[in-house]
Amino acid sequence: MRNEKRMERLLGYSLVAPAMLLILAIAIWPVIQSFYYSLFDYRLNDPTKSSIHWSYSLDLEGYLQNYPFLKSALKQEMAAADEQTKQTLAQIERKLTKLDAAIRSDDQVAKQYDKVNEALDNFETPSNELKIAELDKQTAERLTDTVHDVIQTLKEMKKAGELQHADKVVGLAEGLKGVVIEPNFVGLKHYKDSFSDMRLWKALWNTTFFTVVSVAIELMFGLGIALLINKAFFGRGLVRATILIPWAIPTAVSALMWKFLYDGQNGIVANYFETIGLVDRMGDLLTTEAGAMFSVIFADVWKTTPYMALLLLAGLQTIPDSLYEAAAIDGATKWQQFTKITLPLLKSSILVALLFRTLDAFRVFDLIYVLTGGGPANSTETISILAYKVMFSQTNFGAGSALAVIVFLCVAIISMIYIRWLGKDLLSDGAGAKR
Amino acid sequence: MMQKKAGPLFYLFLLVFVFFVMFPFLWVLLSSIKPLSELFGDKAFNWFTSHPTLKSYVSVFVNYPFLRYLWNSTVVATITTVYTVFVAAFAAYAIARLQFKGKTVILGLVLAVSMFPQIATISPIYMFVKTFGLTNSYLGLIIPYTTFALPLSIWLLVTFFRKIPFDLEEAAKMDGATPMQTYFKVILPLAVPGVFTTSILVFIAAWNEFLFALTINTAEKYKTVPVGIAMFQGQYTIPWGEISAATVVVTVPLVIMVLLFQRRIVSGLTSGSIKE
Repeated sequence: MRNEKRMERLLGYSLVAPAMLLILAIAIWPVIQSFYYSLFDYRLNDPTKSSIHWSYSLDLEGYLQNYPFLKSALKQEMAAADEQTKQTLAQIERKLTKLDAAIRSDDQVAKQYDKVNEALDNFETPSNELKIAELDKQTAERLTDTVHDVIQTLKEMKKAGELQHADKVVGLAEGLKGVVIEPNFVGLKHYKDSFSDMRLWKALWNTTFFTVVSVAIELMFGLGIALLINKAFFGRGLVRATILIPWAIPTAVSALMWKFLYDGQNGIVANYFETIGLVDRMGDLLTTEAGAMFSVIFADVWKTTPYMALLLLAGLQTIPDSLYEAAAIDGATKWQQFTKITLPLLKSSILVALLFRTLDAFRVFDLIYVLTGGGPANSTETISILAYKVMFSQTNFGAGSALAVIVFLCVAIISMIYIRWLGKDLLSDGAGAKR
Repeated sequence: MMQKKAGPLFYLFLLVFVFFVMFPFLWVLLSSIKPLSELFGDKAFNWFTSHPTLKSYVSVFVNYPFLRYLWNSTVVATITTVYTVFVAAFAAYAIARLQFKGKTVILGLVLAVSMFPQIATISPIYMFVKTFGLTNSYLGLIIPYTTFALPLSIWLLVTFFRKIPFDLEEAAKMDGATPMQTYFKVILPLAVPGVFTTSILVFIAAWNEFLFALTINTAEKYKTVPVGIAMFQGQYTIPWGEISAATVVVTVPLVIMVLLFQRRIVSGLTSGSIKE
């Protein structure tokens, strides 16, 4: 018997393992990594920040495209210069040569150095792995300081008119400025910046407003519809199919459909809204801040109220009729039946539906991205949209990831509050228990 | 609330309700057969056109790679569904049917992951697919789609597996069947409807996905339907005729599917949300 139990346990773990590994690798690990990214100044369009560096490194391509030419340019200058200038130039050259030697003193760097040099001689572009060499902090700082000094000196000489091809020499020296890649670890700076930026607070407010208002309306309408259609009637299947359709079509497609209906010139819904006096002008719907928020909420309510009604209807159907019959015999009014029987027994269904809907609404992206793009004037920009824009339009992965982590934390907090309310109901285990 | 008989007033309410729900589709359908000149200007608000035309439909397929979008969505959604439901079926069976420590924690984890906001995983996933050269490929979407498809499959399948009577398993055990035999011979055949329902829901979720598809597959050749249609809008003009036609084309199969499988879809949507 014991053995059998152990076998069962082993089997259980091995059956669950593949799914768990996938979830760990594709869902949980990325969240952790998002947090990690958010600690760095990580930008895809800036070559010195396009990956994460803990340590100093050297862009050998940039270095080798300048250093040899700077050296030969210095030599040319020396040939034409008077004695005093010559000495200064020689000093600079010595400094640079020593620095070069220091860089090459590391075997690994020296190897990469030669390979990159070879590639450049053949007019090839060295790969990213090859051209970035890790540098110890001391050498990196020395490089930065030396380059700074050299530029300073050369600029002074240029001013004094001591150089023949001053612009070229100074330009080459300045080319050495960007070759040291500093660690881009910034700690919690992105979070600090985000929280002191009004745009984040506006986005958080928009998200919360959208979530609370649309979910509240959806619950109200959903419950009303569920109560009304919780009876036998002709064409039930057809009605059920009808209310599934808004749920089933892609959100992006329904958003586009609403954009057409709301259109300021040709939109039929906009036209009707103007006729009944809901808006002053048709165009107001998508071009004013309040109009846009209203439009987004209206479209969301249209799409998800049916879903809410379905969830609640399923809950209603589990309440036995006998309870209502007994209540009616005892003389309870309809309202009393609703508040004393329906609501308490529907509580867990309502909470589950609210949990799913609240989280969905809080994460809203497709609907708003397609319908308003977050506009006008960021009035419908939710936190997910903001994070997306920072990540992919501004290609600022570090700051965008920080925003993504903030979304994640908000979602976690909301779920925790709901699960507190729901208790363990949601996860209770049916195995082995007779229902 | 308990007058189980429906009166005429009730049917009137139903009619109004169904009309409101269907109105956007109806309007889009009517617009899709209007000639271009009637989509704008004074005639834009007329319900019916006197010159119906299929020009918009032809244009969708001729001027846009819409067939390609449909094919991409079909491939991505099908493979995602088959592979996640396959992996999930084993895990769900174990969670619903076997006794081992930590399964509540595992199920809790699955539920938590299904609530993850996509935006929180997108930057590392984007870097991952980019590093491995998977942007603009089917695999580049199938892998990220696991993040929502797998937890959804497990969650739904667990509730379906739990509904199968335990007596059957015990009987099989008495007859000397191993757990794997019990799974393949007894449980799986009974779970087919549940697996089917789960597949429909996962397929719809994968078909409708937008954020990953928008960021990862940006080449025309690999765009999926939601992204493809959303990108119909040019910088200055929005081709409403084509958009209407494309919307009708993607909605019609969904309507048929929903009509055929509504009972299953509803049972899938509501499973796990109600206590029986």
